[in-house]
Amino acid sequence: MSQLAVADQEVAMAVKPAAPVRPSVVSISGITKSFGPTLANAGINLSVHTGDVIGLVGGNGAGKSTLMRILCGAMWPTLGSICFADEEVAFAAYDTGEAQRRGIRMVHQELSLCANLSVAENFFLETPADSASRPGWRALYRARARAALDAVFPGNGIDADAEVGHLTIAERQMVEIARAAATPGVKLIVLDEPTSSLDLDRSKQLRAFIRERAKAGLAFIFISHKLQEIIDIASEVVVLRNGRTAWQGHATDASIGKLVQLMGGDANPVHQHAVAAASSQDVLVRLSGALTAGLGRDIDIVRGEIVGLAGLEGSGQRELLHAIFSPGRKQHAAVARRADAGFIAGDRQKEGVFPLWSVLSNISIGALARRSALGLVSDRANRDTATGAAGKLRLDDKRFQSNITELSGGNQQKALVARALVADTPVILLDDPTRGVDIATKQDFYRLCNEVARGGRALVWHTTEDAELLACDRVLVFSGGRIVKELAGEAITEQAIVGASFAQSADGQASAAGKRTALAGFGRKLVKAAPFIGLAAVLAVMIAINPAVASTFGLDLLLMPALSLVLVTAAQMFIVGGSEIDLGVGAFAGLVSVLSATLLYDQPWLGALALVAALAAYAGLGGVIQARKIPAIVVTLGASFIWVGIGYALQPTPGGASPEWLSTLFGWSIGFMPTSIIMIVAVALIVLAIDRLPLGVVLRGFGNNPAAMIRSGWSPTRYALVRYLIAGLFAGAAGLSLTAINTASDINSGNSYTLLSVAAVVMGGCSLLGGIISPIGAVAGAVTLSLIGALLGSLSVSSDYNAATQGLILIALLTLRSLTADRRSEL
Amino acid sequence: MSAFASFGAWAQRNRWIWAAIGVLILWLVLSVVTNRFSLSSLSGVMLSASFLTVVGIGQMFVVTTGRGNIDLSVASVITLSAFVALLTVKGQDANLAIGVIAAVVLGLAVGALNSLLVVGLGIPAIIATLATGYVLATATLLSNKAIPGFAVSPALKDLATGRVSGVPIMAVIAVVGVAVTSFVLRYTVFGQLLSAVGQNRAAARLAGIRNGPVIASAFIISAVLASLDGLLLGAYIGGAFLEMGQPYLLQSIAAVVLGGTLIFGGSATALGTLFASILLILIVTTMQIIGLPPGVQDIVQGIVVIFVLALAGRQALARRTSVDPGDGDKDATAKTEAGAATARPK
Repeated sequence: MSQLAVADQEVAMAVKPAAPVRPSVVSISGITKSFGPTLANAGINLSVHTGDVIGLVGGNGAGKSTLMRILCGAMWPTLGSICFADEEVAFAAYDTGEAQRRGIRMVHQELSLCANLSVAENFFLETPADSASRPGWRALYRARARAALDAVFPGNGIDADAEVGHLTIAERQMVEIARAAATPGVKLIVLDEPTSSLDLDRSKQLRAFIRERAKAGLAFIFISHKLQEIIDIASEVVVLRNGRTAWQGHATDASIGKLVQLMGGDANPVHQHAVAAASSQDVLVRLSGALTAGLGRDIDIVRGEIVGLAGLEGSGQRELLHAIFSPGRKQHAAVARRADAGFIAGDRQKEGVFPLWSVLSNISIGALARRSALGLVSDRANRDTATGAAGKLRLDDKRFQSNITELSGGNQQKALVARALVADTPVILLDDPTRGVDIATKQDFYRLCNEVARGGRALVWHTTEDAELLACDRVLVFSGGRIVKELAGEAITEQAIVGASFAQSADGQASAAGKRTALAGFGRKLVKAAPFIGLAAVLAVMIAINPAVASTFGLDLLLMPALSLVLVTAAQMFIVGGSEIDLGVGAFAGLVSVLSATLLYDQPWLGALALVAALAAYAGLGGVIQARKIPAIVVTLGASFIWVGIGYALQPTPGGASPEWLSTLFGWSIGFMPTSIIMIVAVALIVLAIDRLPLGVVLRGFGNNPAAMIRSGWSPTRYALVRYLIAGLFAGAAGLSLTAINTASDINSGNSYTLLSVAAVVMGGCSLLGGIISPIGAVAGAVTLSLIGALLGSLSVSSDYNAATQGLILIALLTLRSLTADRRSEL
Repeated sequence: MSAFASFGAWAQRNRWIWAAIGVLILWLVLSVVTNRFSLSSLSGVMLSASFLTVVGIGQMFVVTTGRGNIDLSVASVITLSAFVALLTVKGQDANLAIGVIAAVVLGLAVGALNSLLVVGLGIPAIIATLATGYVLATATLLSNKAIPGFAVSPALKDLATGRVSGVPIMAVIAVVGVAVTSFVLRYTVFGQLLSAVGQNRAAARLAGIRNGPVIASAFIISAVLASLDGLLLGAYIGGAFLEMGQPYLLQSIAAVVLGGTLIFGGSATALGTLFASILLILIVTTMQIIGLPPGVQDIVQGIVVIFVLALAGRQALARRTSVDPGDGDKDATAKTEAGAATARPK
């Protein structure tokens, strides 16, 4: 077969010169990529000329994504070469950034937008070059986003200032396509399943746009499972099968039937069993309520049947599987399950395998999970149970001791199925289990499904391959989160499924968005306003007890110590924005304070040098954390020992003196306004300004979706360095303020700020998951927390309660937030 | 050569060996350099290391639950527990039972609070245990004012400082604890569940594991062990002082990571934690013998942690990339090597 493929390639190559000669955009040849024993790509050649629209098709696991990743610089091949306009480029020097410079853009299947940024800001991330950091840079990108969206999808109605996280999946897909198409200097756009979440009209708009731009010389690679689209739009079609080119030729020579055959479409599952007459006591799962409102009746899933879940991807099939698996939550009231359920995940890496374990452990955990935690584990018993299950799947038990990750995708999937079998549950839920699995395994799998169902269990099967639904006894078609159609027996055809999927996809989306309760909305507002309410309340109480506080002098005295915490909080906020936490930031401020009160005071030059070196070390730490992918918490905790150690070695007991200029820097006054307030506001404004700059947008982008940032060509290590440098500058300023305010230094003076800064950042409304920072709120939070001590003092409460009060405030805020936030992922 | 390779493969599975080798080398070097270093001085190191091991084992359970979970409240728990012991035992052996019960209750309470925050409310472990630490700090300050004196129960003091034919009792306790922990991790359902939850939480949930109780029990184990450790440590030093638990925060994490437990969770080794605790105490002892100032000792400890993590980070990276190719489209059918050769042009 491989010889055939090579021969086909040669034919295709020979045909090439006959075509009208257009300049080459890029060509890759001899691309081979191996992952351990498997070859994802084997000797693939692909050449793209201006104006080409290449339709790339192939079954799951055919190697399309790997090939495109290599083409776009996201992955290096094991063998092969790449040429741009006949200039060969070494792969060692080829990465996503280089691919973009050479005009290649990819629209990914998994969306690569930063959800925390606006549409316009996402446009900026893709083409940062023409943004000078002048004021109003957003307007430029806003206009560009508008124009680009209207060019591809007329009448889209997407607001360029809307946060991407608030858009629907289809709208995000549209933004992403428009963004790639609008890039200046783009020569080739790779579209990976661009129409999977678009409705028919948008899909037509997209194809019209591609046709028009191809005439103007732009090249496209169009990957889709919808073969009629490929034949409609492509000028040339490439079929991949098992990592090799199975066929390459003009679209006019291709037909759907031929492509299906070339892709290995003969693997269609055959329906092998008919459900035994169902009796009502055999009902294992009942679906009702809003879910089945479109059908007007409840749906019962009984023993012995295979029920397929169909519809466009993301229409609610997976949600139903998870609801059946863990019913009982409020939003799943429509689902009732009467027997134990097992789950077979298709996304093996994320939801399936335990990568540290052997195959045997991966299988037997299915049975262990249902035993008492205090029970004992016996390897022999595990092996005995697992062997039975593995035998049914033709999974060789000699591989039981291998690490699961050494197995091919198909065999890993077999192990996951075996796990569900040893769990021995009456209901088995399957979430697209044949994704990326070879044909032989699929056949074993279909056979096993029939056997298992015949054995009296119920299978609920979500698949993205419509052909597989033909193996089901019944198919439930989803649209907009609801079941819109039930097909049974002979009525299950691919046409009927596709027809029903698209039927009512328009509504539903909107109603889901409007479901958030008013109470949660109020709670969120309360959380957002908490730092300001807290600050106002604390000040009000203190002024009520001691009116002198309200004077300029009183406020200054009260707020000056808050300045240091505000600065440390600013530093911590940038770290948290990158979804990390710095447990050494307070110690670093303490070190800077010691350096400024000792070295800087005695020998200004040496002191300045030491400060710069400390800052460089701090920024370097960020680089190390990013480059080695190690947990920031532990590294910064370790670093805190280094900072304290250095400070302690320099100055074992508190002392030193503040340089005169430093004291002046923090000691000026303009009379009517407290100096401390001016400085705190200034810090808040500086942070706000950085956040609004393109730099701030990039940093927030990294906090939200680093993978997307890397794809857009941004260097994670460089921006980790920048992030820590900015944080270091703020923490350093905090250290200087400590020296100036205390007119001396103590290495331990900054320690308490570390935890307080985390509390202030959280209180201010920043997300610990990264990407969302709120400078004003965090500053207000920092001031509030630093006033707690003074407040307790004026209430004549012992300062012993200081820490507890701060801790309880932190807990209360986080509790409030976790109760009001929509919880996206469960534990 | 092949022996070397097979050792490498064996060490890959038994990561505690590196800490053990480290202990051996450092001890030999010290014995050679300073003639006074001997087996009996090693037993002194063992004694100090035992206190670190106990809290390290607890920390190890929490780290193994994955997602970067760390218990930052152990330091406060140790300190508070030592004060609570002074309050309850009052130097009388008769009150010892009450003291032990108080320590266990304290541990259970803190562990339950941490679990509530982490599992119940979904607050990141770091922040939750940080906040708990704040609250405990105040409790410590209050009990500091309330303690009647620094008298320690003689029986407890014997337990914490005594030796049986040269071997510190504490060391025996620590070793037994390590053995029990190893058994639990390897041969009980709980150990397997813990590892599964730490490796891949989504997969664990879909495999039918109830993640919440597993994670919660790790936090409870950590707090109880820290609390018992505080009780014994108080007896060892003959009282209690503010911040006495502080060094154990970084050291417990360092012992866990240095011992070969994966910081990303899913794989724990109690034996490694034991050896790493000894190694860390040996390092500190060495620095004291050399006469390094305390500041420099802090610096060295910090550098050791970062250095070990940077090395361990590479391992984890290698693991991740070896896992990576499986996702989605890439893991195609297993193809033959021969096929690759035929399809190579030019």
